[in-house]
Amino acid sequence: MGRLFGLGILGAIACAALATTAHAQAGSITGTVTTTAKGLALVRVTIDQKVCGNELPDHAIVVDGQGRLANAVVVLTGVKPFDSQALAQGKRLATDVTIVNDKCAFAPRVQIVRPNANVKATSKDPVLHTTHAQTDSGRTLFNVALPIPGLTITKPIGTAGNVRLVCNTHPWMRGWMVVTDDAAAISAADGRFALDNIPPGTYELRIWHELLKSAPRKITVTAGKPTDISVQMK
Amino acid sequence: MIPLLFAAALSLGEQAIQAPTTIPEMWGAWCARCHADDGSGKVAEPTIKVIPMDLRDCRWTTAEPDADWERAIAKGGPGVGLSSEMPGFEDSLTLSQIAGFVSHMRGLCKETGWPSGNNNFPRPIITEKAFPENEFALLPAVSHETEPSSAPATDFSLVAVFERRLGRRAMYEVAVPFYNWDFHSSRDAEIGDVAVAFKYAAFSSATTPGIVSFGLETTLPTGQLYKGFGKGTVVFEPFVAAGTMLGRWYVQTSGKMELPIDTLVNRVYLYNLYVGRGSSAALNSWTLGVELNGENHKLWITPQVRKELTGTGALAASLGASIPVKYRGEKVVSWVGYLVWEFLEPLRARR
Repeated sequence: MGRLFGLGILGAIACAALATTAHAQAGSITGTVTTTAKGLALVRVTIDQKVCGNELPDHAIVVDGQGRLANAVVVLTGVKPFDSQALAQGKRLATDVTIVNDKCAFAPRVQIVRPNANVKATSKDPVLHTTHAQTDSGRTLFNVALPIPGLTITKPIGTAGNVRLVCNTHPWMRGWMVVTDDAAAISAADGRFALDNIPPGTYELRIWHELLKSAPRKITVTAGKPTDISVQMK
Repeated sequence: MIPLLFAAALSLGEQAIQAPTTIPEMWGAWCARCHADDGSGKVAEPTIKVIPMDLRDCRWTTAEPDADWERAIAKGGPGVGLSSEMPGFEDSLTLSQIAGFVSHMRGLCKETGWPSGNNNFPRPIITEKAFPENEFALLPAVSHETEPSSAPATDFSLVAVFERRLGRRAMYEVAVPFYNWDFHSSRDAEIGDVAVAFKYAAFSSATTPGIVSFGLETTLPTGQLYKGFGKGTVVFEPFVAAGTMLGRWYVQTSGKMELPIDTLVNRVYLYNLYVGRGSSAALNSWTLGVELNGENHKLWITPQVRKELTGTGALAASLGASIPVKYRGEKVVSWVGYLVWEFLEPLRARR
């Protein structure tokens, strides 16, 4: 038993050392996502105006004056996110995520979710919301009622790819969860994104957006040197 | 995850929204968004694609047991094979609140006299079901004859039954039997005696499960007498059917007298008892049961299994073996069963 325990400790140290070495040799990708598309018109609210207001911004396309696009998900195919703790334990961690129904909108609008993570759905609004998660093919993963604020309901996301969130009582509400175990990042309000701790090599970079498209591209990562790119979506 | 009861006024800026505290208030604040205050499903600003059924229509709101409606509220539409746009409330309501919504929904039917859906038990293969239904059923039977004086032969029969509710408590039924029998060493396929029946649910408890129905079946001499496909005379068949639940067990019974106009034809007394139990509350679950089926002094035991084939429970099949207990004639075991379709209910969810 003691020998086994000792071997376990040695294994953990070896893994940590391997991880540290990998970290030192890693490269990174930074970039900016832009688009020529314009932001969408305000959504006219037809129900629950006391809570939702009369008009709401349509966050399907969030773009600034310089064409920099937010909420684009950049995925490096085949590269698993570096996590020393998970590596030491010989598994990947599926971190739980939270989706908030806030002022009749899903917050955040777009998020990256690891496979088999739990989704915690909650609401801040004193009206009935539903959080209805559907796959690309329209299959329902779950649809939970959130009739009162403060309630949190936890559901597993499984291994579905892109998951669409809708509210069946407020049809303009949209949210997205990109379920992937690849290295991924979401472009911020200034269109910038960063993928750190990427092992050197050539990979396929895919960019997903709920309305806009961009072709996948090959990208080469060099150790110790950031690779900066620019992506335009149409 | 904690079911909540609350009575706070939820402040929102300068305005305050009073949180609903009673079932009618919750219905108005939440359910009415899609189902409308009156349950009609007609709202000024629909937010869903699949328009809900009209819950004022007593045919819908009375026909199924509370457990089915409770499951629909708790699990959402997919829990009963219906639209996924109906969310699940099991994490936001208590069981008593869910039961309260079912009671409220039942109250949207303003007519009295409809038999409670809590008395709508799974259909046995042979025992007459007391609850009136809108169903189309096919009942096949296969039996293997081992008469010592002749070669073994297998007989097939298939009865097609159409059942349709009339008003609140009544139902009519038309049954057409087909036979494919070995007749003097050659196979013969013919129609048997066509039957028409009328059934009336005379008693149906709304509180504790219990239903009693009376009816009259009339068999017409459409089948050939000399081949054994018919009785050669009109036969009046008054019957009674009843059902209840003992704990989680379904108990159903029926009795019938066959009274032929031709007095040379023997009277027959039929009596049946069914006991069964479902495997779960899901609509597509299994039900295991056993029947005792008597005909005059003869007695059979019929163990059987039933499975609902769709999430809505609109299509179901049953299979059993009818084994002689007291009477050991030439027909040893008959394989019996049915495929039944509740034709007014959706087979699956609309998208």
